[in-house]
Amino acid sequence: MPDINTLIEVALIIVKVIVVSLILFTLPIPLTWIERKVAGHIQVRLGPFRVGPHGILQPVADMIKLMFKEDIAPDKADKWLFKFAPLFAMVPAFAVYAAIPFGDKITIPIINKEVTLYISDMNVGILYILAVGGISVYGIILGGWASNSKYALLGGIRSSAQMISYEIALTFSCIGVVMTSNSLSLLDIVKLQSGTILGFIPHWNIICQPIGFAIFFIAALAEINRIPFDLPEDEGSLAAGYHVEYSAMKFSFFMLTEYLAMVTASVLTVILFFGGWNAPLFMPEIPIFWFVAKVGFFIYLFMWIRFTLPRYRYDQLMTIGWKILLPLSLLNILLTGLFLL
Amino acid sequence: MGKLHLNTLTGNRQTFFVAANLSAFFKSPMNWQTTDRMQNMTNILKKIFFIDFIKGLSLTLGYEVSKSVTMRYPDEEKWLPYQRFRGLHTLNRDAQGRELCVACELCAKTCPTKCITVVPMEDDTGIGISDRIAKVYEINLVRCMFCGLCEDACPTTAIRMGRDYELACFSLDCAAADKKRLLAPAHPFPFQEGIQKSPLLGGDKGVGQEFEGGYVVGARLERNKQGISIKPDLTRKKRWW
Ligand code: SF4
Ligand code: SF4
Repeated sequence: MPDINTLIEVALIIVKVIVVSLILFTLPIPLTWIERKVAGHIQVRLGPFRVGPHGILQPVADMIKLMFKEDIAPDKADKWLFKFAPLFAMVPAFAVYAAIPFGDKITIPIINKEVTLYISDMNVGILYILAVGGISVYGIILGGWASNSKYALLGGIRSSAQMISYEIALTFSCIGVVMTSNSLSLLDIVKLQSGTILGFIPHWNIICQPIGFAIFFIAALAEINRIPFDLPEDEGSLAAGYHVEYSAMKFSFFMLTEYLAMVTASVLTVILFFGGWNAPLFMPEIPIFWFVAKVGFFIYLFMWIRFTLPRYRYDQLMTIGWKILLPLSLLNILLTGLFLL
Repeated sequence: MGKLHLNTLTGNRQTFFVAANLSAFFKSPMNWQTTDRMQNMTNILKKIFFIDFIKGLSLTLGYEVSKSVTMRYPDEEKWLPYQRFRGLHTLNRDAQGRELCVACELCAKTCPTKCITVVPMEDDTGIGISDRIAKVYEINLVRCMFCGLCEDACPTTAIRMGRDYELACFSLDCAAADKKRLLAPAHPFPFQEGIQKSPLLGGDKGVGQEFEGGYVVGARLERNKQGISIKPDLTRKKRWW
């Protein structure tokens, strides 16, 4: 018979998992609305405006539509893989959050219990996230393959090549951070970023690792298939890329994955380079608030970039990945090493 | 020479450019080679600090905070066309309320799409201005291309093009405008001498022909038994540009 404290711990973890998954499931709903609003305003339009005040209920309407649409599978598709590909894509997107800390400890007033704002503090957190996040590409490749359509297949192939090229730069750019903070655990990385340098510069990794940040950000853009690197779903030449044959809920799983990937990329950028939940200069520390604000800014930045830049050509994508980002990230590791010495 | 060049490739290019840039070399206070290198340097610096990228982002940010140009039709505002606009036709009456159309069929003859049907009949009860009136007057709005030739052909200014452009409807019944619809509401053509001005001319949505168009006016979507209509609110008007 386990004692009561262990039971409470287990219950807490279960509650945390449920809360995080619920938040993640509902997060894409406001995000689609925000993205369309951003798109609209950048193009001097209004964006969705008809459903609810300022179109705020538009995503709900879309969701209802997606749920009731006919679920079509192509005749010659590999039925089993076709059904499972969206899951293959979606599960890693969720699994990543097992290792992501949203804040340090907070004390819940009523039961007077300290609760950690993360599901688990893995000592190899960053490695886990990069590895699990990398699996997500299987969903895309399998989806492209199982659809038995040339556009989807090309999207899947492009995606796999792109992931391989940018995963390396992404991982290498993280190494600089890991070297300076001497730990693979995200919690330690954030804790080391508190305080200031010389009293007025926040001790964030962006200050010590500007090259690392630039590489990480560009590679992350490519990893999450956003413009200017959204070649796997290049509307201009591939219709919709890997999910061209998908409809209804299966399609929405892919969309969900994409939005979650965007959130993950923002979260990682904030944790690795922008001090996590540490408040910026002389601002009061409020649990979670700064973290959410920073993540929100990066999500907005991703959307902003999407409606600013055109899409790269495929050879340009490869050139940037292999000829610029990879050497630069190696250089970054070298420089960091020299500094540490 | 060789000392200045980084490698043979640029060397060749630079020797080639010597002749081309000779005049520029003497005119400009700066050595052309330095200009070239500075150009390269600025290009590299631009790439390092993502200058073009930031420029692009600031441009889109400017647009994002600027006012949108979207016209919120039909909930908020709608376009009120100019007086010269060629919208849904109207059949007009004179000051005494008599129909101006004499069923001469000139409009039907001149119509390029042959979409007007006129069937004349004799009538001396004073419905029309003469003893010949239209028994059937129908315009097939699906075929009409709103060219306005019928208007030009009419000898009595009976048919005029109004300002209604909201002609979409749910059934084919309204695709053809019959005499009743074209005559309603009774409104004489105001620009004809001796004919009384009516505030209602120029469309059945209540915008007088004397009301100058070319505005975005306030509007309100109304649903009732007659169907859907968009009521303009002329007190709120603005030029859309
Ligand atoms: S506007 Fe032109 S097409 Fe339409 S009825 Fe008149 S003449 Fe025919
Ligand atoms: S509308 Fe004018 S042109 Fe046409 S039949 Fe009547 S009088 Fe003649």
